Amino acid sequence: MVNENLVKDVVKEPYKYGFVTDIETEKISKGLNEDIIRLISSKKEEPEYLLNFRLNAFKKWQQMKEPNWAELGYDEINYQDIIYYSAPKQKEKISSLDQVDPKLLETFDKLGIPLTEQKKLTNVAVDAVFDSVSIATTFREELAEHGVIFCSISEAVKNHSDLIEKYLGSVVPATDNYFAALNSAVFSDGSFVYIPKGVTCPMDLSSYFRINSGDSGQFERTLIIAEESSSVSYLEGCTAPMFDTNTLHAAVVELIALDDASIKYSTVQNWYAGNEEGIGGIFNFVTKRGKCLGNRSKISWSQVETGSAITWKYPSCLLLGEESIGEFYSVALTNNLQQADTGTKMIHIGPKTKSTIVSKGISAGKSKNSYRGLVKMGTKAIGAKNYSQCDSMLIGDQASANTFPYITSQQQNSEIEHEASTCRISEDQLFYLQSRGIEFEEAVSMMVSGFCRDVFNQLPMEFAAEADKLLALKLEGSVG
Amino acid sequence: MQTKLKESAPILEVNNLFASTDNLPILKGVSIKVYPGEIHAIMGRNGCGKSTLSKIIAGHPSYNITKGEINFLEKNVNSLEPEERAQSGIFLGFQYPIEIPGVSNLEFLRVSTNARRKFLKQEELDTFDFEDLVKEKLELVKMDSAFLSRSVNQGFSGGEKKRNEILQMALLDPSIAILDETDSGLDIDALRIVASGIKKISNNKMGIILITHYQRLLNEIKPDYVHVMSDGQIIKTGGSDLALELEKNGYEWTDNFEKEN
Amino acid sequence: MNGLITLKKKTKPMQIIEKIKTNKLLSNPTEIQKICLEKLQSNPLPNLKSELWRLSNKSKFLKFLDFSLNGSSTNFEFPYQNNSQNIIRLIIGENSQININSENYSINELNNEELITYIKQNVSSFDQNENWSELLNLCLSFEQNILGLRIKGKKIPPLEILSHATHNSINAKTLILIIEKNCNLDLLQINLGTENSSLSQSTYFCLEANSSVNHGMVAYGENKSNLLNSLNVIQKQNSEYNLGSLHFKFNYARFEIRIKQSLGNAKTNIKGMQITKNDEQIATYTKIEFNGPNGFLDQINKSLADDRSHAIFEGSIIVPKIAQKTDASQLSRNLLLSNHAQIDTKPQLEIIADDVKCKHGATISQLNEEELFYMRSRGLTLAEASKLQLGSFFKEIISFIPVPKGRWDLLNKLLKQD
Repeated sequence: MVNENLVKDVVKEPYKYGFVTDIETEKISKGLNEDIIRLISSKKEEPEYLLNFRLNAFKKWQQMKEPNWAELGYDEINYQDIIYYSAPKQKEKISSLDQVDPKLLETFDKLGIPLTEQKKLTNVAVDAVFDSVSIATTFREELAEHGVIFCSISEAVKNHSDLIEKYLGSVVPATDNYFAALNSAVFSDGSFVYIPKGVTCPMDLSSYFRINSGDSGQFERTLIIAEESSSVSYLEGCTAPMFDTNTLHAAVVELIALDDASIKYSTVQNWYAGNEEGIGGIFNFVTKRGKCLGNRSKISWSQVETGSAITWKYPSCLLLGEESIGEFYSVALTNNLQQADTGTKMIHIGPKTKSTIVSKGISAGKSKNSYRGLVKMGTKAIGAKNYSQCDSMLIGDQASANTFPYITSQQQNSEIEHEASTCRISEDQLFYLQSRGIEFEEAVSMMVSGFCRDVFNQLPMEFAAEADKLLALKLEGSVG
Repeated sequence: MQTKLKESAPILEVNNLFASTDNLPILKGVSIKVYPGEIHAIMGRNGCGKSTLSKIIAGHPSYNITKGEINFLEKNVNSLEPEERAQSGIFLGFQYPIEIPGVSNLEFLRVSTNARRKFLKQEELDTFDFEDLVKEKLELVKMDSAFLSRSVNQGFSGGEKKRNEILQMALLDPSIAILDETDSGLDIDALRIVASGIKKISNNKMGIILITHYQRLLNEIKPDYVHVMSDGQIIKTGGSDLALELEKNGYEWTDNFEKEN
Repeated sequence: MNGLITLKKKTKPMQIIEKIKTNKLLSNPTEIQKICLEKLQSNPLPNLKSELWRLSNKSKFLKFLDFSLNGSSTNFEFPYQNNSQNIIRLIIGENSQININSENYSINELNNEELITYIKQNVSSFDQNENWSELLNLCLSFEQNILGLRIKGKKIPPLEILSHATHNSINAKTLILIIEKNCNLDLLQINLGTENSSLSQSTYFCLEANSSVNHGMVAYGENKSNLLNSLNVIQKQNSEYNLGSLHFKFNYARFEIRIKQSLGNAKTNIKGMQITKNDEQIATYTKIEFNGPNGFLDQINKSLADDRSHAIFEGSIIVPKIAQKTDASQLSRNLLLSNHAQIDTKPQLEIIADDVKCKHGATISQLNEEELFYMRSRGLTLAEASKLQLGSFFKEIISFIPVPKGRWDLLNKLLKQD
């Protein structure tokens, strides 16, 4: 037997991003009602239609019930005990980074996301979101030269109102589900991307989300529009300090790809996961959906989910355009008492649409890791194809790995293929590697990263290396 | 070069054939005439369209004829279903014979043989008479009767699959046999068995088209004509010595032909 | 959803449910019937939104319950001749006391006390939603329609057991088989529907250590016949259970399989098939639980849906911590032959033990085009080639059903009928 304890030791690594930034913040009072929503909207100086959008969502939300079908175990969330708006206090209007509170810059520095002119990453434009607001976006001028709009969603509401009015809620309707409705009512900030016709975005775009205060929820909203024949690669990273209370994160992401456009959306999610006893950590209840509206359009989701106490999300593709393509590549790692219920929905509506799903779940500790996915061939999806592969790796005999694929077809001229398997790190493999002089921990992380290779290959290069490291850190002490 | 009597009509006449799949043009004006008793070889690099040509003649549904015609025994067969072509005497030996799990080889051979016999207005064979016929033909390709009880091509080695193809050719007694890379994946002994089987089956009423990369099958079965294909067209036609020259000089040598034309 | 709305408005009478609610189902219920009625009374319908029922056609399901109960037996013939002396044939509801004792084996009917104890034991662990079909069955089963057998020994002649429905009514039949240690049995179970009828069939198997059963389950109906067929199997260590099943020609049918390897170390092979045509709906639900180490499962389920029909497969494999070294595989293969038909499949794995080999797969497609072309290029017509391919699709399943060779004709004929 592989030494259980040794492996457990390997998975323990303190959360590096658990510090709190001591900064004066402007918070509104706890609780949720129409006045709060009006207050958020007025703080952001929003137009009438957006306030109505929020109020309408709120009305619907009040009539909805919190879902429980995923059988995730968590204490009831008291929605009146959450602060829905929290922003670091700073001077009224910031025109350059120099005016950003140095404490904030320092925070992002520590997180490995330097924002200042001298230190900023050279090939990635970053939108940094701190609690409820976006504090800085780099490379804006360079991007503007190509006609690319990359800014916070609040700014987009002010400057590109026509696009917001047209597309906001067009992929994830305000009433889509309980958490999407909540987000639609109270969303504070997030990123907005617009790639004009024919433009290949000259650099990767990235948003970095940081939750700092313990009692506010984070409800950001991302909207990406890729016009005809354009393409963009977008990355998203997340961290939060360690609190022993649970913080709610209910984001909505909407992607729209028109004819021949392609959007690649990558996430490395490392919210605070709670401690070994399962105390604290983020509830990550996110609705992500892309609409392949145009012919030959493509939306590709890749995600590395390692954090959060509970992750509950299904980045999905609505394949409407002829020959449009949807992809989902996922690695979900759970340890200790983490729970993850994640997967995708591939809804084939248009003819000759294609989708690929590759999901790798790794469960360690006493965690629960489920793949849940839907593949549906509609009556018009002539010649459509899907291939899904879902593999689980179990580490230790306390963790659980589940696979729930929902497959339905109404089009005879379409093909669906689904495969799933479970495995563990075999002693023979470990021994073989060790007998070649490779350290135990190294051998384990080699095998885990080998297991995830298909997914890592889909990530942008810097992210892939990051993800590999992250996984190794997370797993330290859990394998045996 | 052998000269054949060309008084009779051609068995197969492909006339300026253009074809595509998924809107991608593959054949760009192919013409070829095969008279009774003739053996033609079509050679060319991978992707030149020679396998496609064979599939189109056999009626594969994935390809569209955009221009030109295929005449078989003086009748246009462009719009015939694959089975109608097979029943009337077009045979395609597959490069990669398909495995069909669960379908017994014997049953498959019997149903197809009877379909052909019915077309020829011959009496259909019952199980017993058919087994006698198969056993006789098995000799031609030195196959064991144990193959009959297995599923079609399933678990067959490369050589066994190709011999099974030739067995089918023997049973169906076609007017034209197009053999797509029947020599690929065969060791020298298997190649000889297959070649001798083809020779025994062929007769002066049958036309044969051999599609191949290499000379070695042509050493066993001497073709009357050799056609070189490139990018969906026949760029040169000659006698059996053309194949030898190709073998010697490689396909790069043929690049000049295109310039000549 | 429509069904639920109808339900609230009570525009359609559901005779059985009304009677359960008002406790007027039976004038003189047995102890078992009382227990099950009680379980159902507070909540007489399953939760139609739950995973197990969400795809069920609501109006078809409600029609199932819309017949009056028939407990009497009519003379019924097996659908084919018994041309072998060596087969024991039983028709549930039409047998007098069965006691066969021969040199190598014995088949004895369970006495009333044994029956009640066994059923009670099962019922106590029943969940109102998950085991709804069993509870309904036991509510409706009259004493003479419950057949319990204890089977011992070796070289047992093949057994054939038939259940059938009668015209314009709902019938319930229950079969309990206790297979003693070291016993080997071949059993063919036939469930027949008749025009305008509902059949509720529940079967319980207990395979003691080192026993083995080859079980065939052939169920077919006629115009507008319905079936709720549940099968509960408990396997002790070193037992082997092989099931070949075929369901077709039902307006509405559910086949629910629940197998528990109670101590692990057992082998289960399942090959099932369902064929739907017209606007039929046939569903198979399976739940395989491994309650001990070294369990083995090989399962394949095939569906074929044509016309406007709907075929459903949901299978779950549950491997708790105690079930180390489980080797389980589940495959769902589906052919969709019409653009108005629908296929749903959901093979699921729930695993906690780490040292296990589990996999599942699912495909939905139509007939393989390359294979069809190959056969057509040899002169077979499209129809013939399709038939051969469909034949091979069935063959793997049908050859697993223990049916003497002479009956093949019958099966083939049935399959070819439209």
